[in-house]
Amino acid sequence: MSDTDTTADVSPAEQSTVDESTAEQSTADGSTTDDRATEQADEPEIVLEVEDLQKSFGGLVATDHATFEVERGTITGLIGPNGAGKSTIFNLISGFYESDGGTVTVNGTDVTNREPYEVAEQGLIRTFQTPRKLEGMTVREAMLIGPRNQPGESFLTLFTDPATVNEAESANLADAQRILEEFEIDHLATQPATDISGGQMKLVELARAMLAEPEILLLDEPVAGVNPTLRNTLAEQIRRLNEQGTTFLLIEHDMEFVMSLADPVVVLNQGSVLMEGTPDEIQTNDRVIEAYLGGGT
Amino acid sequence: MSYREDAVDYWSDLTRAEQGVSGSIALFAAVLLVGLVTGGLNPTYFLFLVGLAGMYALMSLGLNSQWGFSGLINFSVAAFFGIGAYGAALMTSDSSPVLGGFDPILGLVVALSVAAVMAVLIGVPTLRLRADYLAIASLGLAEVVRLLVLNERQWTNGSGGVRGIPRFFENWPILSTFPEAMPVIEIAVPRIGFSIPGLFGIIPGLDVVILSGSLIVLDSPFYQMLLNISLATIFVGASYLVLRRAHRSPWGRVLRTIRSDEDLARALGKNTYSFKMQSFVLGSVIMALAGVFYAHLNLFVSPGDLNPITTFYVWVAVILGGSGSNRGALFGGIVVVTIREGTRFLNEFGWIPFDTAPLRLLMIGFLIVLVMKFRPQGILPPQRELIWPDAIAGSETKPERHTNQQTGGDTNE
Repeated sequence: MSDTDTTADVSPAEQSTVDESTAEQSTADGSTTDDRATEQADEPEIVLEVEDLQKSFGGLVATDHATFEVERGTITGLIGPNGAGKSTIFNLISGFYESDGGTVTVNGTDVTNREPYEVAEQGLIRTFQTPRKLEGMTVREAMLIGPRNQPGESFLTLFTDPATVNEAESANLADAQRILEEFEIDHLATQPATDISGGQMKLVELARAMLAEPEILLLDEPVAGVNPTLRNTLAEQIRRLNEQGTTFLLIEHDMEFVMSLADPVVVLNQGSVLMEGTPDEIQTNDRVIEAYLGGGT
Repeated sequence: MSYREDAVDYWSDLTRAEQGVSGSIALFAAVLLVGLVTGGLNPTYFLFLVGLAGMYALMSLGLNSQWGFSGLINFSVAAFFGIGAYGAALMTSDSSPVLGGFDPILGLVVALSVAAVMAVLIGVPTLRLRADYLAIASLGLAEVVRLLVLNERQWTNGSGGVRGIPRFFENWPILSTFPEAMPVIEIAVPRIGFSIPGLFGIIPGLDVVILSGSLIVLDSPFYQMLLNISLATIFVGASYLVLRRAHRSPWGRVLRTIRSDEDLARALGKNTYSFKMQSFVLGSVIMALAGVFYAHLNLFVSPGDLNPITTFYVWVAVILGGSGSNRGALFGGIVVVTIREGTRFLNEFGWIPFDTAPLRLLMIGFLIVLVMKFRPQGILPPQRELIWPDAIAGSETKPERHTNQQTGGDTNE
């Protein structure tokens, strides 16, 4: 806890338990912990900043000096032909890959080459292209992994302070149930997490990510292999969550889906940003069309 | 509601696997009881076997909290067991080449601490890598520990082993004199015998005759064993309760997520390296606890106790019981000891024309093949949702039974 940005991340619930050193720090910085509204206004407008990011695998340059930003409150689309390096960028941002150069900044904090959990601590959560199966868990168990910093995740607390664990677990269970209801999949709560359909898994994954209370959520192909009805549901849900304040960055091949949902859209080609603009601008741009049609010139 | 209805409710609440296991345990207990009452099974020896079962149950619980919870492949069960046994022996024995003469409680603390440090040392370089590397490193550790114990005579007494280990309760006020203070009880067993005639003289018959005048003697070794069993019960019970709570907690849930998909846990902000380390150290300490118990049960430890075969037996126990299930690990540990020790009696049936004892390993191997084929998830895998019990009690629904433990093969329950 060395800078004000970290302090601004603390949620109201956690604020009461913030130790004295943090409180002193805030005062030293000229702000107090209780005027959260001011702090929120102070939060950077740019929630994710990718600058000059580079990554190559042997001779293959997967990310070539990519630079773009995601503004708070937007649904930003990240598109590009196959092999453009979209997933690599996701892995670089979320800490799964180590970059060869460049910086990633989340909420004003430099997270370049940090561990995924450290990136997540800054409020950046990601999902995966193929839904991850959790064997031997029910849907609500799988949901309960979502919340960050659960007291029951400390082995000692389980024995020294079971009451706190119980309280947090009950609250999380209620939250999970509420979010499942909002996603209209609460009937699946006690189903085995491996027995639901691919589309439902995508919904569960999105719902679980929301339990982590992300400031920015990275979705890797949220509707790949999902039927049109569920696709609309997912789009609605993403829009709803966005209105409630979550920023999104999503990779998607389904152009109709991206163009109807995302604004702005960033186009990647051969590891670098080809252009950025509104869906209309993108769809009429010659260079984008050329990149998609695979014009080698 | 009457007790009877309660019992019926309880029974019908159990899953089929639970009913099956309860049934076989009851049957097995009945057979043992008959053995004890007829004098066919020496009570002191029987208690020794119970102690062995407790020891294996501890090691299975330890391995389960590594492999069953987090998917960590540890092939050095015998090494951590050996560290526990030698730690306790060298600290407490009066013929110890290094320290010796300390209180068993101190020996326990030191042995467990050494095991924990060793687990951290092996975990630091390997737990960040893929799962296979831990497997290889632990395989190496097992041999290194065994060879060190065998060759560093100035510290471990080498192949001579360590003798003169005190009993665990030696310095305790009442318990130290308890075995001698108890009255010797002798029970005469009436002559019981039966025979199953052979089939037309082709297949030899079975003839079991309990010798007339055989006597069940409950003397001080028996009471001594009884004390050992109480110690085993305390160790196993405490470990089981700790693991059960941990397994149903958010902590255990993160471990189970790591086992299924570590990347998912990382993406959701869990420091998986730290969680794996905790799981690895916890399991290793419980294995060392088994070693401490063994040192005070056997009163002698030697490098032979660190043979890799122990690791193999414990793996069999965990796979047989159902990975990820604490009750399964307990059950598996007991089954393995039953097979290991039970087959010793097979030679007493004269009509088997070869020595059966060396076939034990083959039988266990065959058993594992059968389990993998017909019940890959093990005999008693987790049967219900694992959510903090009080939290789930607060919501309307009770923990759901699982319906999907099979990782392939038939449907369960």
